[in-house]
Amino acid sequence: MKLCTASETLSFIRELEEKAAKFYEDIARRFPKNGEDFLSFAKENRKYNKQVQMAYQYVITDAIEGCYAFDLDPDNYTFETDLPQDAGLADAVNKALAIEDKIIGCYNDGAEQSMSLLADVPRNFKIVVRKRSSRLEKLKSLC
Amino acid sequence: MAVLEEPIKDVPMIKNFIDGEWVESKGEIIDVVNPVTYETIARVGISTREEIDGAVKAAQDAFYDWRRTPAVTRCRYLLRLCQLMEENFEELSRIQTQEHGKCIDESRGETRRGIENVEVACGIPTLMMGDSSEDIASGIDEYLIRTPLGVFGIIGPFNFPLMIPLWSAPYAVATGNTIVIKPSSEVPCTQAKIAELAEEAGFPPGVWNVVNGGRTVVNGMLDHPDIEGITFVGSTPTMADVIYPRCGATGKRVIAQGGAANILVIMPDCNVGATIPGLLTSFFGNAGQRCLAGQTLAVVGEDDAFYNDFMEKLTARAKAIVVGNGLDESVQMGPVRDAQKKEKILDYIEIGIKEGATLRLDGRKASKIVGDYPDNCFLGPTIMENASREMRIVREEIFGPTMGVIRTKTLEEAIEICNESPYHNGHAIFTSSGKYARQFQYDVISGNVGINIGIVAPMAFYPFSGMKGSFMGILHTQGKEAVRFFTESKVCIHRWL
Repeated sequence: MKLCTASETLSFIRELEEKAAKFYEDIARRFPKNGEDFLSFAKENRKYNKQVQMAYQYVITDAIEGCYAFDLDPDNYTFETDLPQDAGLADAVNKALAIEDKIIGCYNDGAEQSMSLLADVPRNFKIVVRKRSSRLEKLKSLC
Repeated sequence: MAVLEEPIKDVPMIKNFIDGEWVESKGEIIDVVNPVTYETIARVGISTREEIDGAVKAAQDAFYDWRRTPAVTRCRYLLRLCQLMEENFEELSRIQTQEHGKCIDESRGETRRGIENVEVACGIPTLMMGDSSEDIASGIDEYLIRTPLGVFGIIGPFNFPLMIPLWSAPYAVATGNTIVIKPSSEVPCTQAKIAELAEEAGFPPGVWNVVNGGRTVVNGMLDHPDIEGITFVGSTPTMADVIYPRCGATGKRVIAQGGAANILVIMPDCNVGATIPGLLTSFFGNAGQRCLAGQTLAVVGEDDAFYNDFMEKLTARAKAIVVGNGLDESVQMGPVRDAQKKEKILDYIEIGIKEGATLRLDGRKASKIVGDYPDNCFLGPTIMENASREMRIVREEIFGPTMGVIRTKTLEEAIEICNESPYHNGHAIFTSSGKYARQFQYDVISGNVGINIGIVAPMAFYPFSGMKGSFMGILHTQGKEAVRFFTESKVCIHRWL
């Protein structure tokens, strides 16, 4: 079933960010040399979560099209975080890049769909995407 | 998606809040029913005359000290209330959904609108400033002070249990008055929670009071000699036949906001992709139960290809609307408030058909109810084509998720239809042309006018307007006009000899 309302879309994004944060915490334990970087990503995920949730909460009014702002297929953005026990750093980084790709896709598509309807929410989606670009570079440099 | 947790549990008794105390009413007790489950979620008393008198007396007694409390201090209580509303944002929103039925996005939107009014009222030290002139004659100065009046009554409707009382309450207390709020007896839980937060914010006893009940309580407030003014939002017959004349008879100032049957005009040059979600929100949001909801769609022009394509896209989106429990995050339209209201809407659909309208989308039986709920209050979206300007489904307020569709040859004809409606609350146009938009804005008789906006809800710092059958009074709720309403202009002329 597609995500149409702002409420369910924001809940879905919250789940994605939290799931990815837990993944980063897991690989921080497994690859302590790069642990600090991974933990900082987990922290950022939660910060982004708060940022977009507050943008929604601060802008939502009865007059804007919150119930019809999105048309996202969640299957396009869900991901698995399982990593084999014998996985190396490169596997972990590749998995992280794949996760980031899904999350960025969700933000980009969500921003595109709701741009004329939800004002600050898509703007904040775009900000999160922009902020993530430095993370992608950092991840790639770890391989 | 999971259904969010219900905040109201164990069928509480909703008490009155009088003089800083929570008091159970000695009057008849009625059930508060969740329109989704049709289960009783709370009970509330219909306050007696003595209880109304007690609330007004408490408010009157509190007025002496509250008026003398500096405006900057008064606004600190409101700042604290604001903070508490933010902290309780989600609970406040879910209470609205549970007792009213609207979906959670809509309830959160309502909470935000309520908070915005408290925020605006926090600017009262500036908003309440008067005027002054030096040397109006030699050695004589003149100035104007905005002074509070005393006790105000605030009568709320069922469709916006949180927001609408807050179109008035924060401005009333910020300007130094004291208040007695009467929420709708159908949805009293939200204002009980707001009063709890007002108590926690530390408002002195008697400044913020709530009495519950129905028509008898309204009558008690209207007749009360110690209430200086009333703000009311409800139906036009009650506004015109009860509230306005009775306030006149007892010398009260009044803001009386009534019903609507808004017309949304579609020009062939509109941005169809962006227009359709706006229409869905306008006609079917809040299950059509709002005075700014669209009721009639007037599609301009004789281009059948445009009309057919537009209606096809609109109908497909309307048909896909997910109906159900508003606490389910995937739901786009909740139930109407109760079974009687549903019956009334069904009657109007029948009337429309008898008068010659044709059903393009039949929502009499909601086809996509998510979840296993009794079908007492649910309706699907209904679209009726071939409506005409004289039909009752165009001229009378339905207050449900229905859309009558009229075709007009010209914009002028569409504006004529807007202007001959008995109601003039929130007509709107969808167009890419500045010329059409300006013509519409200029010529239409409507308190609130939308250009590519389906719900023309003014922000808290603008008045919530309305004209003719939709409004009686002079000043409006919200913003600077509310400040004017809740104060009297006292003009002082000084000469020091």
